[in-house]
Amino acid sequence: MATHQQGKKQRSRADWLLLVVGLILGSAFGFWITPTILYAEKPQPLQFNHKLHVEQVDKGCKSCHQFRDDGSFSGIPGLATCKSCHSGDEPLGNTPAEKEFMKYLKANKPIPWHVYSRQPDCVFFSHAAHAENAGLECTKCHGQHGKTEKLRPYEYNRLTGYSRDIWGRGPIGLAGPPDRMKMDDCAKCHRENGVNQACFVCHK
Amino acid sequence: MDWDRRTFVKFAVGAVIGIHASPLIPKFMDDTAIWTQNWNWVPVPEDGAVAYAHTVNPHTGTGAKAKLIDGRVEGLRAIRVEGNPNHPLSQGGVLPADASALQLLYNSEIRVTKPLLRNRSTGVMTQLSWPQALDLVAGNLANLAKNGQAHMAAALGADPSSTTGQILMRLMQALGSPNVAFTPTPRETMALAGLFMMGQPFLGFDLANANYIVSFGTPLLDGFGAPVAVRKAFAGWRGYPKNQARLVQIEPRASVTASQADQWLACKPGSEGLVALAMCRIMIDEGVYDRAIESAYGWNDADGLPGFKSYLLKNLDRAKTASLAGISLPKLVKMTLAFAKADRAVAVCGPGNSGDPGRLYDFMSVLALNALKGNLGKPGGVVAQQPLPLKSLGGALPEAKPPALAMAGRPFGVNNVHELAQAALAGKPYGLKTLILCGGNFVFNGPQANVMHDLARKTPFVVAITPYMDESAGMADLVLPSTHWLEGWGDSTTPFGSAVSCYGLHRPLVKSVDEAKDGGDILLALAQRLGGPVAAALPFKNLGEAMAKRTQAMGDFKKLAEASYWAQKRPAYGAMRFNTPSGRLELSSRVLRNLLSKGGRDADKTARALGVKAGAQTAFLPHWEEPAAYAEGAAYPLVMQAVPSLRTTWGDEAVTPYMVKILPDTVLANTDKLVVEMHPATAQQLHLQEGDAVLVESSAGSLTAKLTLYAGAAPGMVFVPLGLGHKDFGFQVAGKGMNFNRAVKVTSDPMSGMPIWELTGVSVKKVRG
Repeated sequence: MATHQQGKKQRSRADWLLLVVGLILGSAFGFWITPTILYAEKPQPLQFNHKLHVEQVDKGCKSCHQFRDDGSFSGIPGLATCKSCHSGDEPLGNTPAEKEFMKYLKANKPIPWHVYSRQPDCVFFSHAAHAENAGLECTKCHGQHGKTEKLRPYEYNRLTGYSRDIWGRGPIGLAGPPDRMKMDDCAKCHRENGVNQACFVCHK
Repeated sequence: MDWDRRTFVKFAVGAVIGIHASPLIPKFMDDTAIWTQNWNWVPVPEDGAVAYAHTVNPHTGTGAKAKLIDGRVEGLRAIRVEGNPNHPLSQGGVLPADASALQLLYNSEIRVTKPLLRNRSTGVMTQLSWPQALDLVAGNLANLAKNGQAHMAAALGADPSSTTGQILMRLMQALGSPNVAFTPTPRETMALAGLFMMGQPFLGFDLANANYIVSFGTPLLDGFGAPVAVRKAFAGWRGYPKNQARLVQIEPRASVTASQADQWLACKPGSEGLVALAMCRIMIDEGVYDRAIESAYGWNDADGLPGFKSYLLKNLDRAKTASLAGISLPKLVKMTLAFAKADRAVAVCGPGNSGDPGRLYDFMSVLALNALKGNLGKPGGVVAQQPLPLKSLGGALPEAKPPALAMAGRPFGVNNVHELAQAALAGKPYGLKTLILCGGNFVFNGPQANVMHDLARKTPFVVAITPYMDESAGMADLVLPSTHWLEGWGDSTTPFGSAVSCYGLHRPLVKSVDEAKDGGDILLALAQRLGGPVAAALPFKNLGEAMAKRTQAMGDFKKLAEASYWAQKRPAYGAMRFNTPSGRLELSSRVLRNLLSKGGRDADKTARALGVKAGAQTAFLPHWEEPAAYAEGAAYPLVMQAVPSLRTTWGDEAVTPYMVKILPDTVLANTDKLVVEMHPATAQQLHLQEGDAVLVESSAGSLTAKLTLYAGAAPGMVFVPLGLGHKDFGFQVAGKGMNFNRAVKVTSDPMSGMPIWELTGVSVKKVRG
C-alpha cells in the first residue's frame, strides 16, 4: 500500500492550463486552416479598372451591366458592349491590361471573367425584381466594387466550386451583405421588408 | 508542471475542443452538403440572352420552337425544344423524340466531329481533312465512271422528297448510276394506290373533322404520319362532355391505339385489308353506300374484266370472310352499319405496326371502302392534298443505261432498298464497289438489318454521311460528319396521311460541332470535285441555295426560313378530281392494266410474276392477298409483329437516353433485356412461362428476349418492341434490348414491289437466360 502511495504524483493545478493552451491553439489552427485549405485563388484573365470606366459613362453601373429587352439581366457585359466604346483597332488608353484586352477584341474571343457574385445553380435571382422594382442600390450586395481600380484574385471553394464572396470573407461567415451573400441574408432582407420567404421564391 | 501523458491528454482535449470551436468542422460539413448538390446530373446552361427560333424536326415533322441562350463565353446554345403553337399539324405539341433531341445534339460521345478513315483490318480510325476526305470519295467515284462502272456505286438516303434526297438522286443520276434508294415509307404505297384508283398521288385523311374512324391495323396513336397532329385529332374526338367521335381499331393486338379506341376488333394478323373488303360487301348487301360509286369505272364488269361489285358478290362471302379474319360477323355488321350511317366517317390505312410502308391492295381496299361511304373530298373524309409548290433542282437528266439492281424487269419503278441490297450481295446482275449511306442508319434500321450489315461489310468502299457514330458509321470506311437538324439546313415534306400538305424547313440555329457540314453541302462539294456533267447538274454553292431555288414559289426564302414551314391553308373539300384514263374513280385500275400490258406483255403473267396470286382477273381490283408470313412452313409456326411506340422510335433517328429512361418494365427489363409478348395459351402450348428467356428465330435472323404473357396479344403471335437494341449511340442507349429488324424477313409486296415486313414467320424457343 505504501509503495502505491509513494507512486502517486502530486499534480499541479497548472496542468489545466495546458487544456486552455490546447483550446486556444486548436481554435487558432482551425481558423487559420479553414480558409487556407478550403479556398484556392485564380487570377482574372486580365485587369479591369471599374473606377476609370464609371467615370467615363453617364448611367453608372447600368451603362454596361444592362437589362435586356426581355427584362433579364445581362450580368457581366459581353464583347459587344465593350465595342460600343472600344470600336477602333487602337486602344483608347495605354495600360498593359487594355493591350491584353485588345487581343480578345481582335480575335472576337469572349473574356472568361470569373464572377465573384455567382450564386449556386439552385438559386433563382432576379436583378429586375431587386434593382428595378425594389429600388435596391447595386452597392447593397456588391459593395464598392464599382470604385475599385484593380480586380482582386477570384477565390473559390475547392469543394463546392463557388465563389468565396458567397460565404463571405469573414472567418466564421457571420457578416452580412456586401461581405457575403448567403441565403440567410436574402431571408433577413425579405423578412425585414415583408417579402415572401417561401422556398420556391428563390429555389424554383 | 511536467509534460507527461496526463498533460498531453489535457492539451489534446483542449486542442480538439478548440478545433471544434473554429469553423473547420461546420464549414466542411456545410460545404460537403453543398458539394453533393453539385453532382453533375442536371446541366445548367450558361446565363445569357434568351431567344426562340422556329424550326421543324425533319425526322418527326413536328413544328418546334427551340429555346436558345446566347452565353457570353459559350455562345449560342440550344437549351430546350418546345412545340410551335403556330404549326398547323403539331399545334404546339412535341414527341419524346423532339423534346429530347438535345441529348443527341450535345452528346459528345456519339457525335462525329471530323472526317474519319477506318482501317478495315484493325478498325482504327484516323482523322482526315475535308479536302482529303472529299478527294477520296470523288476519286473513287470518278474512277468507277472512267471505267464504265458508275452503276457499281449505290447511294442510300433517308428521305427522297427532301432537298438533300433530291441532290443525292441527281448526283447519282448524273454520275451514271441508277442505284439510289431511300427509307421506304407509306407515302409511296399511298401514292401508288391513289394514282391507280384516282390519279391522285397525294391523299390524306381529314382526321380532325371525322366523327367515325375505322383504323385498319395502323398505329394511329403510336406512329402515324405526323404523330402530334393525330394525337391532337384524338383529343378532339374525346371532347367534353361526351365523345365527339367513335374510334374503331382493327388489329391483332390490344395496342395503345386499340386500348384507347371505343371498339377493338381483334383480327388475324395481316387480315385488315380483308376486313375492309368485308365491310364493302356488307354495305353493298345492306344497300347503305353512296350511290355515286355506281358511276365509277370498274364498279360493274367492264372490258371483259370483273367489276368490283361482282367480284365482291362472287368471291367474298361475308360469313366466311369474317371467320377467316377471326372477327365475329354480327359485331362486324353492326360496326359497318354504324360506319355507313355516320355523317363524317373515314376508314384509315397506313404504316404497319412494324413500321413497314403497308400493302398496296390493303390501301386500295380501304380507299374503295371510303369511296363506298362517299366521303371523298368531304370534311372528315379522304381528301387530296394540294401538291407542294416545289421546283425541280434542274432539268431532266439522262437515264442511266445499266439496269437498276432493284426492281429489274418491273413495269414501274419503286424504291426498294432491300431488293437493291439483295441483288448487290448476290452479284446479280452485278455487285457494288462503292456504297454511300447518307443518313437513315440503314445498318440498324434495315429494313432487314442483317442484309444491310452484310452489304456494308462486303462492299469494298463504304461512305457514311451521318451526324452520329451510329451502326452505319461503324461499318463505313469513311465517315463524314453531317450536321444535326438544329445545326444545319434541311427540309421535309408532307407527313403521311395529313389532310393538308405541309413543307417543313430547318436552318442553322446553333454552331455545328467542329467540322460537321450539312449533308447536302457534302454532296454538292463532291459534285464540284467530280466536275463535268455531275457539277453541271448541281450548280449550287450550298444546300441553302438549293433550298431557296426549290421553294421560290413559297415566297421570300428568309421569311420562309424564319417561319420554318409552308402549309396548305385548309383541306381541299369539294368534288375530287380524278386524273385517271376514264376521268372517273377507277375501282378496276386502268392505269395498272396499261402498265401491266405495256409493250404487248401478257398482263396475267406479269401480275403473277409480281406476286399477285389472283392473276390478272383481279389484279386491277382492290382485293386481298395472303401474307407471305403464312407460308413459312412448320419450322416457323408463329407470326412476329412489332410493337411501335413514340417512346422507342420515330423516323430514322435513334432512341434518346430520355426515351430509354421512360420505358416500362414491359418493354425493357432485367438488366436491359428486351421483353416480348405472347398470349398465355400459345405460351402454354410451347411450354413457356412468364419470365422465360426465349430465342425468337426467323429464316432471316433472330433475337433473344424475356417473355411476358399478355392476354391482349393474338394467339399464335409474338410481339416485339421496335427501335431498341443499338450497338452504338452511347452508353445510355447502347445494349438496351435487341433490334427487331435483325429478326424480320423482308418480302416484296405483291404488285407494288415495295419492301414489306409487317409479319414474319418465326419460332420461339426457351433458352438459358
